[in-house]
This record gives sequence, structure tokens and C-alpha cells, in this order.
Amino acid sequence: MSHSHDHADLGPSNTRADAAIARIAGRLLPAAVVLLAAAAWLAWKGGDANATAKLYLVSFSFILAISLGGLFFTMIQFLTRAGWSVAVRRPAEALASNLRWLWIPFMLPLLWLWWKGGQHHDAGTHALGLDVLWPWANLEHMQQHEPAEYENVLKKAGWLDPNFFVLRAAIYFAVWAVLATIFFKGSTSQDTVGGTATTDRLQKLSGPSIILFGLTVTFAAFDWMMSLTPTWFSTMFGVYFFTVCCTAGFSAMALVTIRLQSLGALKGIVTREHLQDLGKYIFAFGIVFWAYIGFSQYMLIWYGNIPEETTWFMARQMGGWTTFSWLLIAGHFVVPFVFMISRWMKRWNVTLAVASAWMLFMSAVDLYWLIVPVIPAGLADATTYAELAEKHKDAPVGFFTLATLCSIGGMLCLFAWRTARTLSRNHLVPVRDPRLGESIAFQNI
Amino acid sequence: MSASSSMQGNTVPASGMDNTIESPGQRAPLVLGTGDFHTVTNQVCRVTEHPSVPMAWYVAFGVSLMLLGALGIAVNYLIFTGVGVWGLNNPVMWAFDITNFVFWVGIGHAGTLISAILFLFRQKWRTGINRFAEAMTIFAVICAGIFPGIHVGRVWFAYWLFPIPNQMEMWPQFRSPLLWDVFAVSTYFTVSLVFWYIGLIPDLATLRDRAKGTIQQFAYGLFALGWRGSARHWHRYEVAYLLLAALATPLVLSVHSVVSFDFAVSQLPGWHTTIFPPYFVAGAIFSGFAMVVTLAVPARELFGLKDLITMRHLDNMNKVILVTGCMVGYAYSMEFFIAWYSGAPYEQFTFINRAFGQYWWAYWIMVSCNVITPQLFWFKKVRTSIPAMFVLSLFVNVGMWFERYVIIVSSLANDFLPTSWDEFIPTWVDIATMLGAFGLFGVLFLLFCRYLPMIAIAEVKSVMPEANPHWEGYAKGHAHHGGAHHGHGGASAGSQPAFQDPRPGQP
Repeated sequence: MSHSHDHADLGPSNTRADAAIARIAGRLLPAAVVLLAAAAWLAWKGGDANATAKLYLVSFSFILAISLGGLFFTMIQFLTRAGWSVAVRRPAEALASNLRWLWIPFMLPLLWLWWKGGQHHDAGTHALGLDVLWPWANLEHMQQHEPAEYENVLKKAGWLDPNFFVLRAAIYFAVWAVLATIFFKGSTSQDTVGGTATTDRLQKLSGPSIILFGLTVTFAAFDWMMSLTPTWFSTMFGVYFFTVCCTAGFSAMALVTIRLQSLGALKGIVTREHLQDLGKYIFAFGIVFWAYIGFSQYMLIWYGNIPEETTWFMARQMGGWTTFSWLLIAGHFVVPFVFMISRWMKRWNVTLAVASAWMLFMSAVDLYWLIVPVIPAGLADATTYAELAEKHKDAPVGFFTLATLCSIGGMLCLFAWRTARTLSRNHLVPVRDPRLGESIAFQNI
Repeated sequence: MSASSSMQGNTVPASGMDNTIESPGQRAPLVLGTGDFHTVTNQVCRVTEHPSVPMAWYVAFGVSLMLLGALGIAVNYLIFTGVGVWGLNNPVMWAFDITNFVFWVGIGHAGTLISAILFLFRQKWRTGINRFAEAMTIFAVICAGIFPGIHVGRVWFAYWLFPIPNQMEMWPQFRSPLLWDVFAVSTYFTVSLVFWYIGLIPDLATLRDRAKGTIQQFAYGLFALGWRGSARHWHRYEVAYLLLAALATPLVLSVHSVVSFDFAVSQLPGWHTTIFPPYFVAGAIFSGFAMVVTLAVPARELFGLKDLITMRHLDNMNKVILVTGCMVGYAYSMEFFIAWYSGAPYEQFTFINRAFGQYWWAYWIMVSCNVITPQLFWFKKVRTSIPAMFVLSLFVNVGMWFERYVIIVSSLANDFLPTSWDEFIPTWVDIATMLGAFGLFGVLFLLFCRYLPMIAIAEVKSVMPEANPHWEGYAKGHAHHGGAHHGHGGASAGSQPAFQDPRPGQP
């Protein structure tokens, strides 16, 4: 291969696309507004507060996972002093930079629910509270309707306490916002000041940052997703959510990179070699590692066959959820594994874009699968599995509905709008990173 | 900074220079004190060609042989008498035997990680340590393989572990993870052996070409498979190496995951937890890297390999130990937290019992050695201090042995039925078998050091600046040496050209 890319153009015509990206952003904002308004209207018409709240949690978790994936990618590159990735690091940093505002669409509704739930209300009337999503937030209700679960939840009431819960959420968002700011500001300021001091500083910070990241992501997953079924527990759950973040984040990163190139930027800077490596990241973390973690969690619970653990999976094997679970296995692992294993599929931007878009979609499916299913009432009354399955054979999934697609799509547009705004104001590549030369010259052999 | 000038790739990196310092944008050299491939060949081959070996080798070999003898006695006594000679009894039916098995399988993982995963991650520093880490893998798996074999009781029926067609239509229980273990570990051993051997071929040819005695010429020549170093040979070699790396990568995860299934599929509190597979894998890599450091520190000293296994290599390995130690710490915390969070009285009891029950001392040895002391590796001073890293790596070895002991014995000793609770006390046979396995490992490893190239000569050359096709020689005016008459490898062997960006920096 020739070494013409040693002389890649690092001028603004190739490393910035402010106007073009701003135009895209200008289209994304109205799309987000329309879709979210439609979702809100459909929710209001549906009148099911629990379903609405769950859908909102799915949609929010989706864009949160993308941002966390971007943050993880950025930090791991500094931690390992990677050379190859400099050319594609800015999209990841831009995705992660959304963590600076993502607390707003989560903390505001959460605080409102917390405040409403804490209000004194007359017996008999049911006010909205945290229990719209998390049953443990209303212990009285649990005691009346699910006495067995109540006994269990009482033992962990210290952890699943509304005040502590809200405080923890604030801590997670604070940590993420600080980390995203450190890495985004550090890298973009290097665009002007240059030098190696920034790189040295971020390398030093990356180790402790990743530890904070690992703990916050784990406990956020425990709090927001695992505690939806407050009696259920799995030590693997934090790691599972981490793989969701990797799938969503790396796929989004590849899509952003390819889109930027299609605008005419990054010529000779981002090459097929980088695309191939991004594809490898999606393949390794989003497809294979995800399957490994998912399989291990499922197999051990299935084999152990202890009712307090299996119920969670049983809820995902009832009625329409059975098909949905198979869709997840086939769509998140089997098909993309075969599709992406060849190096050419990762090196050609068209196939990589198709695979990335698909994997991004599948991470939304995965989050829906994690959050929405409910353990059917009267589970304990059933004597056989077949009887139970028969009773719930019509359990609806509701993923391919207008409300779901508008909600997830609207959130994604909102997120893409903010990401585009960020990219329209910055270089699309860390132009003065000391390892940029090494990155541009990098080849897979 | 004086060191930074020598990082430009223009001057020969001085022997003993501090290559742990790396200014962003300029990669520090991985091979020190030499300006050519010939020196590398000489440094590695000298160990096998030199008529005498250091006294320390004889001492270590003698001690290992004695321990191997102890293993022989203990195992024979066991076979002739029965497994009752071990301290096993109801309810602790697994103790030292399975602890040792898991410990040794775990040790092997560093070798596979270095040779396969670090290869796919393009970590060039792996070339300095991969050969003997892979050797370590093979010897560790051999040690591990002994234990399931002898703990079955009637050793002469150990072949029943394999699904061999027979007239009684008797088959192993395919639903048991113990059988999956047989497949996982034997696959692992096979792939590791093939991978190691493929990598050895060019270096065996180098030794053959340099050999003076007929026996050496014949022996090295036999195993070099007629290697001549032609472009076609190298091409085939590189393809095979990449494919084997890709095949070995899932094995790094699968083998110890299957080992963890041995415990986690059960319903025993302390064993049945979903994080076990990745937790066991992280622990295996952790203990394996600790063993590599334990072995590399004296080896580079004794055999004069400090310019090839540099402080940078050790520094990197210590970082891997820190990372995997933190992962293991994460898993311990998750187990404890979820045991409380689950609200299940049995889970809660098991973990409190581990920390404060009859095996509290084993638990706290485990936590101290695996989670607390490795945190010292946050400090570069510790990571680059030979005595500190040696001691810390020994701690990790001890800690990881105790981890398995704690998991296995503490969960079994205090299970669901308090009336049958008991304490496991090892007998002399238990202890002799455990120490004896170290003897077996030591004997194999020391023989390897003596008779085979301890460092992948061809691969190390490929990460030197000279291997880059655009390299134009050191400023001092060394001529560019071709690889052929200095052994196999070098420019033509460049699996990855060591690219040194010639530009001083970005605009």
C-alpha cells in the first residue's frame, strides 16, 4: 500500500464540517419534537402510566447507553495509550459529551415522581410516585397485593429507599458528567494548544475514571433495571448492561464516522483500516461478548432452576415474548456474527454502516427486553409450566407499535441533534493529538 | 530528558535505558542495547548453546526434582491405597484436588492471553514474553490434568471420562459440566501446544543452523520441519499464526468459564452465582500474569535477557495484574452485595461465614493478596521495582490459590445441613501432592529454559525498528543487516512493521 496518507490534509476543509453538520442538526430538532410530541400524545391517549413510564425508561436508557459506550471507548484508548484510534476518537468523545445534559431528562421526572410519591394523600386515591415504575417504592401496596414479595423486599428496604435511590441517581449522573467533561474538554482543548501534556494528563486520569465508570454503570443498572423486579437478582447484571452500552456506543460511533466521511470530511484521515477496527470492536464487544455474558447468565439460572431466579426469565418466555427473545438471540448474535466475521464486511463503509445501524437497533430491542416484561400475576398459583404458558400465551410485547417507535426514534433524534451540534462546533478529529500521525499511518496486516 | 532523544529511533537504544518512559507520539523501544538482529539471535541462543548453566539453575532443578519425587510417592500411595488418604470426607468432598486443578488451569491463561488476545490487539511488547508464557501454559495444564485424573478414585477407569463407545453402552453424563471440562481442557491443551509449536519452528531452525553437535543438529532439525525461511514459508506461517490466534482467543474465555460452571450450575450458596464465568476468567489471567512475573524476574536475570524482557515488559505485566486484580475485586464485591440484596438467608449466611466463619483466615488471605496488595501497582515506583513486583506476584499466586480453596471448601463445609458441618483438614498426602505439582511444573519449565529458545527470536526482531521497510539505519551509521545469515526472522518476518512516525509532530 502506498504511503500517500502520510500527507493527509489536516486543514479545516477536511477536519471541520460546521455548516453541513449544522444543517443536519437543523433537520434533527424538528424531527425530535414531532416524534416526541406524537409519542406523548399516544401515551396520553393510552392512559397507562406504567406502560408510558417503562417506554420512557427504555428510550432514555437507549441514548444513555450510547453515551456511556462512547465514554468507555474514549477512556480505554487513553488507558492503553492506543495509537490506531486517534482518527476516530472524536465521534466517541462527542457521543460521550451528551452525558453533560442527559441528567435533565432523567433527574427531572425522577425528582417529580419522588416528590409526588412523598406527598401525603388520602387513603384510596392513588397518586403518581416512583412506584409507577419501581414496585418497591410503595411498600403498603406490595404488602396488600404481593405479600411474599413484600417480605423479601423489606430486607433490602435500606437500599431500595426512595430518598437514597434519588441520591444515588444524582451521584451517577454527576460522575458521568464530570468524566465526560474531563475527556471531551481535554481533547478539544488540545486541538488549539497541542503538545503532549493533555495526553499525559488524560492517560493518568483514565485508570481511576474507568473504575468509577464500572461501579456507576453497575449500580445504575441494578437500580433502574434490575430493581424493576425487586425480588430478582443476578451478580452478572451490571456486566450485561455494560455490554449493552458497548453495543450501542460502538455502533453509533461507526455510524457517525461514516456519516462524517460522506459529508466529504476526514478524507485520508479515517481509512478502511479504522473502519475495520471499529467493526472489530462491535464484533468483539457487541456481538460475541454480549452473547457470552447473556448466555452465561441465562444458562446458570436455567440449570440451577431456582424459582426466585427463573421467574425473571419466565416473564420473557411467555406469549409474544418468546418470539421476541428469539429475535434477540438471532438478531443480536447469530445473524450479525455471520455477517460481520469476514474482514471485508468491516472494511467497506456500506456493509459496516448496515451492520452498525442494525446493532444499534438491536440494542434498543435488548433494552426493551430488559425493561418491559412483567412477571405475570398469579405465577405462584400455577402448578405446571405448561399451564402457565397457556394462560399467558397472548402476553403482548408491543414493541412494533407507533408509540414505541415514536418514543425511541424521538429520543434518538434529540440525542443526534445534540451530538451534531457538538460536532458542528469542533474539529472532527483530534488534529493536534501527538499520536494522530501513527493513527493515520496505521494498517491492519 | 536524555532518554527521549534515544526514543527517536535514530540512535541505538542503550542497554539499561528506562524504556518505561514514553512521550505521547513516540513509542519507546522494546529491545534495548543492540543495533542489529544478530545480537538478538546470539542473546537467546547462547542460553541453549552454552555448555554450562548458572548454578541457580541446578539448585532450582534439584529442588523441583525432589518435589516431583514427592508427587510420585503421594500419587502412588493414593492409587494403591485409595482416596481416603486425602483429608476429604463428607461434606467436603472436593478440597485440595480441585483447588489445585483450578489453580493450574488458571495459571495457563496468561500464556494464551499473551499469545492470542494481545496478538489480535497488536500489543508488540508481547513478543518478549510470549514464548515462555506459552510454555508455562502447557506445563500448567499438564499439572492441572493430573488432579481430576487421580481424584476419580479408581484411576484405572479414568478413561471413562471420555465418551468411548463400549459394549455396555455406558456413556458419561453429557449434562454434567465435569464432562464439559474434559472437552474444554483437552481442546485447550491441544490448541495451546500447536500454537506454541508453530511459533517455535523458525527459532528451532535457527538453533539447527547454529548447532555444532550432531545430536543437536538432528533433534532441532527434526522438529524444525525443514524450515528454510523462504517467503513462502513465512507466508504460510503468518496465516497459520493468525488463524490459531483467532481460534485460541475464545478458548481464553471458554476454558475457565467451563471450569466455573463446575460450581455455578449447582444450587450451593457461594457457588451458584451468575458472575462466575467472567470472574473466573479475570482471576485466571490475574494469576497467570503473576506467575509470568514470578518466572520472568529470575529468568531474565540468570540468562542475561534484560535487554529483551525489559522493564517496560514487566511494567506492562504489572499493569495487567492491577487491572485484573481490580476485576476480581469487583466480582468479590458483587457477590457480597448481591448476597445481601437477594434477601436469601442461605446466600447471606455463606458470605458472612466466609469472612468470619471457620475459614476467615483463608478468606482474608485471599482478599489481602488479590485485592489489597496489588493496589500498590498504581505506583510506578512499585511497578518498576524488581523486589516489589516479585514479592507482590508471589502474593497473588498465594491469594489465587486461596481463592479457589475458599470457594470450594468453605461452601461445602457449611452447607444446608448444620448437623453435617465439618472442617476439612489436609493430610500429608494432600500437601505433598500440592507441592509436588509445583515440582513437576518446575522440572518441565527448567528443561524448557535449558533446551529451547526462551524468547521468540523471529517475533522480537519483527518489532525492532530495523524490521520496518522504511528504516534507514541508525544515525551512528550501522549498516542494515539482512536477516538470513543471522538466524531466521527480521525484516522478512515482519508480522507487523514497527512503524515509527518519522514526523516530529503535528501542525
